[in-house]
Amino acid sequence: MEAEISINYLAISTELIVIFTIVGTITLDLIFTKKSKYLVALFALVGSLISFIPIIFQWANYSKAMVLFDGSYVIDKFSIILKGLFILVTYLTFLLSINFVESDTYYEGEYYFLLLCSLLGALVVASSRDLLTIFIGIELASGPMFLLSGWRKGDPKSNEGAIKFFLLGVLSASLILYGFSLLYGVTGKIIFSEIVSSLSATGLHQSPVVLLSSILILAGIGFKISVVPFHSWAPDTYEGSPLPVTAYLSISSKATGFVALIILFTKVFYESGTSWGVILVLISGATMFIGNLSALQQTNPIRLLAYSSIAQAGFILAPIAVAGITGNYNDGVYASVTYLVIYAFMNMGAFLVVNILIKASGSENIYEWGGLAKDSPMTGIFSVVFFFSLAGIPPLGGWFAKFVVFRSLLSTGEIFGLSLGIIGAINAVIALVYYARVSKIIWMDDSPAGERVITVPNPLKVVGFISLALTLLAGVFPGIFSSLGEASAIFFSS
Amino acid sequence: MTSILETFSNGLGISLVVFLPLVSAVFILFIPKKQEFLIKIATLGSSLVTFGLSLIVAYQFDYDNAHMFQLGNKLTWIESINSNYEIGIDGISLPLLLLSTFISVLAIIYSFEHLPEPVNPKGMMSLILILETGMNGTFVALDLILFFVFFELVLLPMYFMIGIWGDRTVRSVAGFKNQIETRLYASIKFFVFTLFGSAFMLLGFLGLYFRGSKTFSIPELIELGTSGAFTGTFATLVFAVLFLGFAVKVPMWPLHTWLPDAHTAAPTVGSVLLAAILLKLGSYGFVRIALPILPEQAKAWAPAIAILAAIGIIYGSLACLAQTDLKRLIAFSSVGHMGFVMLGISSLTSIGINAAMIGMVAHGIITGLLFFISGSMAHTYHTRDMDRLGGNMKLLPKTGVLLGFTAMASLGLPGLAGFWGEFMALLGAYNPLPGLNITVFRTSMVAGAIGTVLTAGYLLWMLQRVNLGEPKEEWIGQDLHDADNYELAAWIPLVILTVLIGIFPKIIFGSTNDAVISLVTKAFGG
Repeated sequence: MEAEISINYLAISTELIVIFTIVGTITLDLIFTKKSKYLVALFALVGSLISFIPIIFQWANYSKAMVLFDGSYVIDKFSIILKGLFILVTYLTFLLSINFVESDTYYEGEYYFLLLCSLLGALVVASSRDLLTIFIGIELASGPMFLLSGWRKGDPKSNEGAIKFFLLGVLSASLILYGFSLLYGVTGKIIFSEIVSSLSATGLHQSPVVLLSSILILAGIGFKISVVPFHSWAPDTYEGSPLPVTAYLSISSKATGFVALIILFTKVFYESGTSWGVILVLISGATMFIGNLSALQQTNPIRLLAYSSIAQAGFILAPIAVAGITGNYNDGVYASVTYLVIYAFMNMGAFLVVNILIKASGSENIYEWGGLAKDSPMTGIFSVVFFFSLAGIPPLGGWFAKFVVFRSLLSTGEIFGLSLGIIGAINAVIALVYYARVSKIIWMDDSPAGERVITVPNPLKVVGFISLALTLLAGVFPGIFSSLGEASAIFFSS
Repeated sequence: MTSILETFSNGLGISLVVFLPLVSAVFILFIPKKQEFLIKIATLGSSLVTFGLSLIVAYQFDYDNAHMFQLGNKLTWIESINSNYEIGIDGISLPLLLLSTFISVLAIIYSFEHLPEPVNPKGMMSLILILETGMNGTFVALDLILFFVFFELVLLPMYFMIGIWGDRTVRSVAGFKNQIETRLYASIKFFVFTLFGSAFMLLGFLGLYFRGSKTFSIPELIELGTSGAFTGTFATLVFAVLFLGFAVKVPMWPLHTWLPDAHTAAPTVGSVLLAAILLKLGSYGFVRIALPILPEQAKAWAPAIAILAAIGIIYGSLACLAQTDLKRLIAFSSVGHMGFVMLGISSLTSIGINAAMIGMVAHGIITGLLFFISGSMAHTYHTRDMDRLGGNMKLLPKTGVLLGFTAMASLGLPGLAGFWGEFMALLGAYNPLPGLNITVFRTSMVAGAIGTVLTAGYLLWMLQRVNLGEPKEEWIGQDLHDADNYELAAWIPLVILTVLIGIFPKIIFGSTNDAVISLVTKAFGG
């Protein structure tokens, strides 16, 4: 058989540009001397920006989903939006990194190279529709993060965090693979649609094997998205990593995990939703409570954000969990993805604030941040916007994220959704206490003696204002997210 | 001119009333901190224009059709969930909207010279303006989600007002190991209590959305509700969570505990805005949303609300008698007065709800003024301890006279604004909607009547301790400043209004009466 492989290069031009940037970054790193290393950063920055252009064109000229490689790789509205999100988050992470990486004896070239590799993995996950591609995507996205989290080589905390992350990461990869192998063993197929038709043809879609496979995959991805009980690595790793890497871990890596979860559970396992749905409901509720109650006791801002992002993962998971039980996947995915998008920008902003304030105060104890807002009102306003947005206070973006989640939980009035809704409401109140505490300390507590000068470098200002604009826009005109609803509808019809 | 006014009636007028303060707040953020006078003038100008616009709105309002939503509009806002920018006012919301724009102007005038540490007028002025947008927006919103956003928008500015400009006295709090400054404790307590209520309220809104025809529009939901669309356990649960959300804000006993702390800790303008407007958001929510959308549940819950209101009246008055802190006394008096408002609402009659409406406005004016005066006195004497105060009439004659007048108004002296709300609430409770448990309501009425006596008791006792008698030795020879022009400019309009509404309650009833009668007829058929 003559294999005529025709590839629609336009469809995957985003991925190609990122690959080109990756190769270019590592090559330039070899060429340039230490002095002109900033050019490597610039190249990576421009490359990631250019890779956004095809996204815009694909969105503007969208007519129908493009299917590549015999159905293994699909570019639909759903994946276009997520790719846009991943690129934007990576771009903001770069901006956040510039001063951070320069300020220490880091390996600059490799830093950007690894982040771009992780981005490529995330892009692949968003489009993947078979077991192999999605696995490669997941691991390509998390592999570089093992290295990056240990980037502060001299710091024992960084080493500890990286080792924990690596060991658990490998474990999670093997769990996912085991789950995949069961699916493959039962059906002999790797493309999702073929797996589903094979399962329903043989009537195995609710068999124990498939259920076991879904639980293994759930456990594996559970590590990536750091939900209870797979969350214990996150605070240590977050604390040990360089701050921009932490931001990336808590946003992009988490989002990649969620996207993989959404694709696998709603494309492959949707017929056994009543089984895994209940498990996810329990995980989601426990994640909110444990994340929030632990965050209440933190004095270290990074650990605080680590636990906060665990709690937020509980919220993101809730609609998918309930969708599994009710079968209303469309609504559930819309809610989760909307939450993910808004969460990405407000959390990025929160990390920015923490980044600035740690540097300004020289302290990783929030109680020593008293009165910092007086020294830099701009940072003070950033902190109010981002932290209260995380708490879900209108008119900041976070309220709409919480709202769509509540809406999807209550949509059928069924008991699991209702209980999760009540748990969510209680948790929103608990979370307010520690989110408000940060603002309280920097606005209301007295400053210690002595002048503190806070200079916010320009790249950080850019990150701050982009995140601020998007967070406010999401809160005041949530209508812009209607396209996400459309996207999730297309996602299910394809 | 006519054409401009016509476009105004198309929603533009009230939209400006809502958003002009917010836009001004953003502009003020860009004025350098040093230009204090410019900041103050700009804020005052913005609030005056807003007040003027609200007067135009009141002028354009068709009082013959006060039961209809007017001067509004409906624009697409969040299409995916069918939530719209739907606004409009009727006879019930109009007086509250005017009260809000009016009190904001006075609060800003007062803040010209009287900000506690750390003075920072730029911060305070922008917070007042943001707060005003939230308050005005809540009174004109006709979409549950829009209402929710405005309802919550007031939280952040008030949190920071209390937390930054609040009382720095260190106190110990039960359950906390370390001592904590009053302002820090009070601000987060206020925030957490209110959010707790409103988080559940949002779940209730979603319940109405899914059981109704997937709409958040309040007029549409009222149509559905009055035609009996919401029944059974579902409706009971929804009413329960709405009750939680609104009752925390009112606040009703036993959810009131945040109020004395917040009021005592807040700076003067914060207390004034909190008492005059923010508390009304809760009682307005009952009248606008809970009663007409869930009439059957309102009937079922009415006796419970009446009992809680009566407990609130008695409890508030007794607590007042035990206070030594002047501001705390006024704070507890709010619990009592809002108890009368809720007692009026719970009777579900047009007399009772009209009483609640005039009670809300009167409480806003009178208690606002009381907080202004007590705040200034605390500033002058550096203490709020009534055991140390005394002979105020001799030390600060202007302030003393005004305090005496306002206390009389607050205790419900006939001829002043406070009278109508209390009197008619009791009348409403004596003769509640047919079918309601008459024993419960008459008992509540008796409790309320005893409450009026207690109210007179603690206010007169307060006057005796603070205003009358000879000045204590520590004040003699001290250079104490009586009310200055800024203070008088903020206070005199309130005094005039108190008298006007007391003599011509029709100022309020002319607007509310038709709307209330229509509400009661539609929802309860009586």
